[in-house]
Amino acid sequence: MEVKKTPLFECCEKAGGRFVDFHGWYLPVQFEGIIAEHIHVRSHAGIFDCSHMGEFIIDGKDQIANFSYLTCSDFLHLPIGRCRYTVLLNNDTFIIDDCVGMKLDEENLFVVTNAGPLEQVSSLLCNSSIRAKNISNQIVKIDVQGPMSLDVLIQSGFSPQISELKYWTGGKYKWKEEEIIITRAGYTGELGYELYLPPDLGVEIWDILISNENVKPCGLGARDTLRTEMGYPLSGQDLLPDMTPLMASMDRFIEWEHDFIGKDKLLQQKEMGNYPRLMGIKTYTRQAPRHNQKLTLQDCEVGVVTSGTFGPSVGTGVGLALLDKQASKPGTILQIVGRPLQVEVSNVPIYLNGTARKKVS
Amino acid sequence: MYPEDVRYTENHEWIGEEDGLYLIGISEYAQEQLGDVTYVELPEVGKHVRQKEPVALVESVKAAEDIYAPVTGVIVEVNESLEGEPELLNLDPYGRGWCFKMDDIDTGQYRRLMNREAYEKYLKSL
Repeated sequence: MEVKKTPLFECCEKAGGRFVDFHGWYLPVQFEGIIAEHIHVRSHAGIFDCSHMGEFIIDGKDQIANFSYLTCSDFLHLPIGRCRYTVLLNNDTFIIDDCVGMKLDEENLFVVTNAGPLEQVSSLLCNSSIRAKNISNQIVKIDVQGPMSLDVLIQSGFSPQISELKYWTGGKYKWKEEEIIITRAGYTGELGYELYLPPDLGVEIWDILISNENVKPCGLGARDTLRTEMGYPLSGQDLLPDMTPLMASMDRFIEWEHDFIGKDKLLQQKEMGNYPRLMGIKTYTRQAPRHNQKLTLQDCEVGVVTSGTFGPSVGTGVGLALLDKQASKPGTILQIVGRPLQVEVSNVPIYLNGTARKKVS
Repeated sequence: MYPEDVRYTENHEWIGEEDGLYLIGISEYAQEQLGDVTYVELPEVGKHVRQKEPVALVESVKAAEDIYAPVTGVIVEVNESLEGEPELLNLDPYGRGWCFKMDDIDTGQYRRLMNREAYEKYLKSL
């Protein structure tokens, strides 16, 4: 299959991006360097090309209800302008993908999904009962992340009105004559905004943003270290096709009073209680746990590392691991098989000083 | 970019003579491929190692890679400043980012390693 380029490919190339194939897309893994970009996002602002992601519009209350049934969230009663993080489930309540839904108005839900399972998700959402419109090819997504992101956007010509956006809300705004969608959300733990733009405008806005002295272009590498420090799972890597939302430690995102596919099975799992779960892990040194390493407790295998990297803001190795229940208590010390390295089970976020929830207005 | 006076392995280590001892590090190409180095595990001083034996470990944000002994010999010194400043491997791979020193090496093996010209040709073939 031919590897695709996003409309921002030339912009990223010009900025010195080093590209990799990410789920069929050429995307920059880094520009200046992963650590420099990571630190810049935590202290200033970074911009990410996320145009590979999937975007859908679901039009109509019945259709929104039918979509909700496939997730553990009730989007029908979600207030307008609010975003909600959820997972798409199959009959066995195994996770197909994680996604974010934002209520544009009473009748319209905007849904953002990942690049990996996009084909499967698209056929699910565009079926006869939901009839979602897949607008992924008409959208350039730029994430602007970092404590200076709001200032940068206003300096770049965005309406100062966007400062009214609270954490995990969004709406339609005007850029000159064009209507665009902005959410105050992100994948870094910092104050940040996600811009959903028509492709031509995306290029124009990228060029304006990158000319701001407080902005650096950032790649997938920094996106990964930033999200891992926050304990945010990555679809297809931490969230696997045989995992339920309970195993993904998404308890607080499950709306039990809402009716959804396979809910009985999930309730059963909840009552049994004896399921493995995704937890944060950290090391005591600069050594990092690595994807797929096995973990033991008193010489018994109790889990596997699903993500692992050096955490530049934490200063130690950080990661996520799927752990048997008896090994999942924060503070438990586990051994990495085949390496002289121990990890401590941790609650997430591992990095505690993120500015994502900061009051800005 | 690749200093003339050192020899190279296919695994991108370099080895060069200095004051009767042999300095070992990773090449510019290797540091570039690894990206930001975050941790270096160095060998034990006094250890006898065989050519191609894994003796050290370099971790970057993205990956962990072994460093192999380019020749048979004895480890006589390690670069302790890498513990606090692993980024020296990125900043100055042929200078302050050296990894360890060897003595009593198999000089035949050393002579058979690639010179700069051969290494550059090898890199082009990758």
